[in-house]
Amino acid sequence: MTLPLPPASNLHAILLVTKSHSLGRRLVFHYPPLSPSAAALAAKKAPAWFGNETSTGSLDSHSDSSDWDSSTENDGIDDDVEVGSKTSAGRGSGRTSHRERDKHRPASGGWEKQDSIDEEDRGIDDSAIGNGYGKINGGRHLKGGEHDWSTVLGFQIDALEKMLCPHEAFNKRRFELGVESTVFVGAPMFVRSDGLWKKGRRKKEKRSPDQQLQAKDLLANLKSNDSDEDKTRGERSGSTSTEPFVYPQGFEPGYGHDMSIAPSLAVSEAGSDARTNSTTEVGRPDMEMFNVVFVLNPPALEYQLRVKEMYDNVTRKYAKALKYEQARFQYVWKESKKIIEMKQRARESGESLSTTWREIIGSSPLAKSIAILFDAISNDKIAHIHFDATFNTSFQIPQADSTPYLPNALEPQMPGLWLTTSNVAIEEDNDAVLTQHSALLLLEDAETLVKELEGDSKGNATALAFYIRNIVPTKSLQKISIKHNILAQDMEYIASHLVYWRRARLIPPLHPRDTYVVSPNADMSALEAAIPSYSSRFPTLPSLPKIVSMLSGTPRPYRTFIPTNEHRESYMEILAWLMRGGWVTQLRSFAWVRVTADIKAQVAAEMEREAHLKRTEEASRRDTSDSDSLTESLFSDKRSSFLAAGRPSTPMRRPPRRELDDEIMDASTILSPRTAYRGSPARPASDSGSTTSTRTTIPVPQSSGRTTSPSPAVPPQIKAPHRPSPLHLKTTSPSRNPLSPTHPLSPNLPSPPLSPQNFTASLVLSPQKANSLEARWLEKIGQTFKDQEVREHWPMLLRHLDGKHALEDVPSREGLKRKRVAAIVTGVREAGWLVVVRHW
Amino acid sequence: MSTRGIKAIFFTRFHHEKGSRVLHQVPEGSITRSTAPAALRTPIVEVEAIAAYLNPTQQFCDRLLTFCTNHHRVIGYPVCIREGKYSRNEFMFNWALVVEESLADWAAYGEVVRKMGRLLRGLEEQGGFLSREEETRGVWEDESLSGGAYGGGGSKVYALCEMILEDLNNYAECMIPIDDSNTINLKLFPTRSPPPPIHAHHVPLLTISLTSLTAPISSDLTLTRIIPFINGVHSVSKIARLADTDLSLTRKAVQHLVYYGVVILLDIFSFGAIYAPTVEIGGFITDETVQEECARYIRVPRISLGRNIKIGSESERSSTSSDTSAHNRSPSTITATDFADYRTGSIEHVYRDVMTEEDGEKISHETLITLYTSLRQGLTLKNFVLENLTLLENIDIRRFITFGVIKGMLYRIHKYAITTSTFASIAPAPMSTTTTATATIAGNNNDNGIAGVGVGVVEGGKLRLNSIVSSTHDVGLPLMRFLDGMHSFDEICTELRMSEAEVDRKVKGVGDTWVVYR
Repeated sequence: MTLPLPPASNLHAILLVTKSHSLGRRLVFHYPPLSPSAAALAAKKAPAWFGNETSTGSLDSHSDSSDWDSSTENDGIDDDVEVGSKTSAGRGSGRTSHRERDKHRPASGGWEKQDSIDEEDRGIDDSAIGNGYGKINGGRHLKGGEHDWSTVLGFQIDALEKMLCPHEAFNKRRFELGVESTVFVGAPMFVRSDGLWKKGRRKKEKRSPDQQLQAKDLLANLKSNDSDEDKTRGERSGSTSTEPFVYPQGFEPGYGHDMSIAPSLAVSEAGSDARTNSTTEVGRPDMEMFNVVFVLNPPALEYQLRVKEMYDNVTRKYAKALKYEQARFQYVWKESKKIIEMKQRARESGESLSTTWREIIGSSPLAKSIAILFDAISNDKIAHIHFDATFNTSFQIPQADSTPYLPNALEPQMPGLWLTTSNVAIEEDNDAVLTQHSALLLLEDAETLVKELEGDSKGNATALAFYIRNIVPTKSLQKISIKHNILAQDMEYIASHLVYWRRARLIPPLHPRDTYVVSPNADMSALEAAIPSYSSRFPTLPSLPKIVSMLSGTPRPYRTFIPTNEHRESYMEILAWLMRGGWVTQLRSFAWVRVTADIKAQVAAEMEREAHLKRTEEASRRDTSDSDSLTESLFSDKRSSFLAAGRPSTPMRRPPRRELDDEIMDASTILSPRTAYRGSPARPASDSGSTTSTRTTIPVPQSSGRTTSPSPAVPPQIKAPHRPSPLHLKTTSPSRNPLSPTHPLSPNLPSPPLSPQNFTASLVLSPQKANSLEARWLEKIGQTFKDQEVREHWPMLLRHLDGKHALEDVPSREGLKRKRVAAIVTGVREAGWLVVVRHW
Repeated sequence: MSTRGIKAIFFTRFHHEKGSRVLHQVPEGSITRSTAPAALRTPIVEVEAIAAYLNPTQQFCDRLLTFCTNHHRVIGYPVCIREGKYSRNEFMFNWALVVEESLADWAAYGEVVRKMGRLLRGLEEQGGFLSREEETRGVWEDESLSGGAYGGGGSKVYALCEMILEDLNNYAECMIPIDDSNTINLKLFPTRSPPPPIHAHHVPLLTISLTSLTAPISSDLTLTRIIPFINGVHSVSKIARLADTDLSLTRKAVQHLVYYGVVILLDIFSFGAIYAPTVEIGGFITDETVQEECARYIRVPRISLGRNIKIGSESERSSTSSDTSAHNRSPSTITATDFADYRTGSIEHVYRDVMTEEDGEKISHETLITLYTSLRQGLTLKNFVLENLTLLENIDIRRFITFGVIKGMLYRIHKYAITTSTFASIAPAPMSTTTTATATIAGNNNDNGIAGVGVGVVEGGKLRLNSIVSSTHDVGLPLMRFLDGMHSFDEICTELRMSEAEVDRKVKGVGDTWVVYR
């Protein structure tokens, strides 16, 4: 689990390159028409993720830090001039202005869904007009660089064409070419040696696994008909939040999928068959290869992550979709020829780039899809692409919707990101069950979503609308599906789908008895805009600042803020609204069992008795004493004399390497560190076993027990980009050995004086993985409860007392009444058996 | 830097008649097949597939070119020298290295390649370092060498490749003398993330002792001056005043320290502040070594609680305003913050002496856990101390909090004010004459300080003048721009140099204001 990075595609251009027999290598299309030069991209600074920018915070003096020598851009340009190319040094400056817009990043973590939908709508309208072919844009306005037909990204087109047409070894593999800090990521697709773009139908049985996979993917794409809800199930494989989804039985009829699949499949087969015939007649196809190349300039430290994200989620999938279309209708090549022709005409008649581009986009669906893709992805939105009447799909780079870690002042900030642990998967849990207990918080109003569906789907939206209208954030999916008689799998499918496409979030069901606080990660810069939209939504209720102020004081259950019962519903709506915007988060309780000295003494006494019984039994069986018992008694002697010295037995420190769990090791580890500690109390750091502290704390001349700063383990070498600060503790850190829960006293260690003073209270960190001694302690604690109910549920409760499961989740997970669980927890807590901490 | 990051280094030349050829490769056989006895069986990259990128067109020369193939990343810097003495007036070569494709910080290697490319270009231009060797060794004449059958014997370029590979992989740096006037100095510098902006209310804390370094860390005057004042207590604004440095320069200097990871940023400690646990508290509870470390760090030896911690005493934040005129505080106002005051370096020593005399009672882990878990939203530190007075014995409350913040298990809940009237219109708040007076004095006494404070949002010398002039007139007005919920009280207090109580009073005077703790 790492701190998520703010979404930033760093996308700067998309290029389409083809290689054909008739035309050779051609850069068919690039978008945007006026691209920044590579040198300008290289000079770009890393984005500022840190809240309010300060005036003095700019890092002009730090160009060395970004690791891309800023002088190189100048060198590059100089060289160009030297070489005598037409590229002028001024070109870069003339073009960067166009890219200003892309520099602008949405301030909030990217929750603006509405925009992406607008995008889609516009896209459809435009394509409708564009298909008319007759759209001529007469507006000619000339700008600088508008007539520069010979370079793209500051490179001569022919040079670029050569670079972006890779060797056939790259077929269906990642093509990654870096030029300075700019990287060209592509997924080259080559025609098969038999001249087909995919294997014919008759050979279907013999498909290679790779192609089978691809076909599956395409089928999945196919299933995505117009409705927003049913998009590209295949793409979900890239999703991090959802598990591999099992197709629910009986799902298809519910959504009318069969309706959409059959015709489209038929069309596709027909199309490919027709095409197959035509190609076999003509011979080998003209186009050998096409490569869609995405131009990125990620910061050096995020390079791997950003490139991978782009390739896995967009580049590869888009290329596959194009290949599919190519296989069906020669789509790519037909469109390419059209675009090339248009460009040629415009170039001869001296038109400007942007006018021409507008024309091209208007008449070529391929060019249009590239433009839509670029506009959406470079703004971290979802791109809805309409390829043809039967094939639509969407592309996005998935974004984190929550984080358990609050970034500190040194880390990249993501204001507005929902702060919670409720989305953190706990290893031993079954996620499917978890989803059922979550509620779905729609990030848009249900009616907006429904309208969206009705807008672009044909008829099957009514069923979906029914589901969506019934989703409430206060009820778990399980409850909703029971109440409305919806199949649980359907519910889950819709949920995962909505979550993946950023329309909803899974949250613990909102409840008035739960406690909510203002999230420290709330995006206060969005407040000004939020106030009016809140007040138009809840005009008669307290204003947003007032509500936020109320929830920011001492944490109280939410119901205490609700004035009357009549207000309950509207107040819950407010809460949902606040959750949606990341303003508030639920305060959840996590607990561990605290074992008191008393219990330990009792258990130890019991065990002593048992051991004694056993010994006498054995002794009676065979009278001879062997060497084992001798050593044992030897140790017990030592130990008792040690304890007799009157020091409390507080074995607080366990040396880290304690693998051998035998008696001798136990005895020695308990004895030695303490004597050492006593002998030289001034240097505890050296024997504490925490090597980090000795190494990284300030090397004080005279050793002191009081270190000057708490070992903020400064990594001597490079740290991986943007994981939670190495200073921090990690709850989910795997480094902690789960098999070493505290058991300061070995069970079979004889300790004669068994009074509580000789023990100290400690925590049982993970009751599920308790060792035998801990289990006995827990059992003993269970016996102390007077209340029958508490005693009965103690083993159930123990499952949740590991500091990872929130107590608020107990009722839903165990299927108990909220009140009952609350009473049990209170009972246990008041008896002093719990250490409880509350955070999100 | 990962050890042995470089998998291979090779040198290619482009010949106009014979095409491109790998002349040198280390280890043998890593790029093209080789018959040398110690050669690798199979090349780690497919050179045919990438030949176009090894010796590209001139457009792409003199740029860092990287490409991925076969799970490796080839980083090259193709160079094309145009001069009449070469055949076809061109001399093209590429000195490249191969790393794993998944290597996260390959940019460091990129810099090495870039430097080598330029250096070799220089050497070639100066004295034909590369071309002379080719001529004497007759590389292009001997057709049988196509497989790289010859070793590197005697070749300077080959020796270079070999030495650089070994040295960078083993020591992450190398120094190789070429001739009398040229030496190759290479070092792998890890890439660091850009530092965050530093605010005037941030409190820097050094993670290593810069004073104990023998060589001065920097010749930067601001840095040298401020370092003695960085102690985890003073805010940047106060450091600037104490060290008599310009605030914006001070911020930049601190930013440099942050960049190199020797400073972490805390908040201003005060007893009015609220702290609450984060998710990382779980790591503390389950990790005994951290608890041990904490117990050592926060313990106050032999100093009774009553004398040292004045409950509710105003700390750093208020002192920024209270001691504008007088820097030296009277001994009677000793607060917890003074424990680590910069002037009391000697006091630290006293503590240590004390420590050796008395081994000090250990703070039990249970106490620590109880204390950390009882911090919560809505509970000021003052009330927390009052609630847990007995448990807090022998605990330095400031260090207790600092430890939690550094480890990430506590977060400071800042106080913000939102006024709904800000968004509509700005109404000047009534100003108090006393503040005006103080501000004037401060303006006169400490020109730098007040200028820096004014710079907060707008920069430039014009404002500096304005702030001095205007500070006498409208103290109420600048407050308004902080009331949008984005500026914490820490920030407001530091920028306006007022105590929290004063800001509170003024904020109330604005009307229609809501206080939000976040």
